[in-house]
Amino acid sequence: MSYRAGDRLPEIVKDPIAKVQLVMYAGASGDFNLIHFDDETARSRGLKGVIAHGMLSMAFLGQLTDSAFGAGRTRRLEVNFRGMVNLGDVITLRGAVDEVREERGRALAVCSIEAVNQEGGVVTSGQAEAWMD
Amino acid sequence: MPLDPTVLEREFPEFEFNVERGKIREFAMALGLKDPVHFDVEAARAAGYDDLLAPPTFTRQFWHENDENDPMPHLGYDPKRRLHGEQEFEYHKPLVAGMSLRGRNVIVSNREKEGRRGGKMIFVVIETRFVDEGGELVQVARRTLIETAAPPKESE
Repeated sequence: MSYRAGDRLPEIVKDPIAKVQLVMYAGASGDFNLIHFDDETARSRGLKGVIAHGMLSMAFLGQLTDSAFGAGRTRRLEVNFRGMVNLGDVITLRGAVDEVREERGRALAVCSIEAVNQEGGVVTSGQAEAWMD
Repeated sequence: MPLDPTVLEREFPEFEFNVERGKIREFAMALGLKDPVHFDVEAARAAGYDDLLAPPTFTRQFWHENDENDPMPHLGYDPKRRLHGEQEFEYHKPLVAGMSLRGRNVIVSNREKEGRRGGKMIFVVIETRFVDEGGELVQVARRTLIETAAPPKESE
């Protein structure tokens, strides 16, 4: 895939966050913090209910760059965790190419990336680099 | 709570990380991925990989595997004030099923900052470097953990 500075990456809209996905991600990732799948624990910590793993949003952003550039072409991902993701939230992944530069004779795209919820709130944002050739 | 300075100097032991097909499929399924390079060996080979390709944040599962290897449980953070603030991965070689990696955690940065409402915030960066059987660097992960400033003491 070839992009130029200013191009947007193809947007991805994820299915609404369901508890079964959080349970699957807990098992797959090894993060068994109960606030991600046990409502009672989540409420005892002052939350309305369970919240998604921050690293799940980051994994979604990895999907954004892998699908925009081709699986395995991501060279770097860096994110800040900015907001909580609740059950039922619909997360949209989007990004834009800020710069294309040459590194070791290859074209590298530097992108701004973000995961936003259905209200437009940014939950995770950062930067990605991906090889274009 | 201030961090124990001896933790900052400690060398955490190397750990082994075997990349399995089943675990890659499980991880990809949990993310809702559809790309067959994560599920079907033939598709992965057709895309130029030796075996199933791990999704970008796959090595994350190793953080909780063994407390001995991981600085985090030894930092003395108050769990109620601990945040995972930032995360970075650098990819040097594709990560595919069948690879056997060795990883090691190091604390690369520890700094304090004045909190907005007073008190100290502590930022710690833990770096994990993964190398393959030939000793070549495969991935570097950097976790920034934050202990937020202690809430003001309630008046009696």
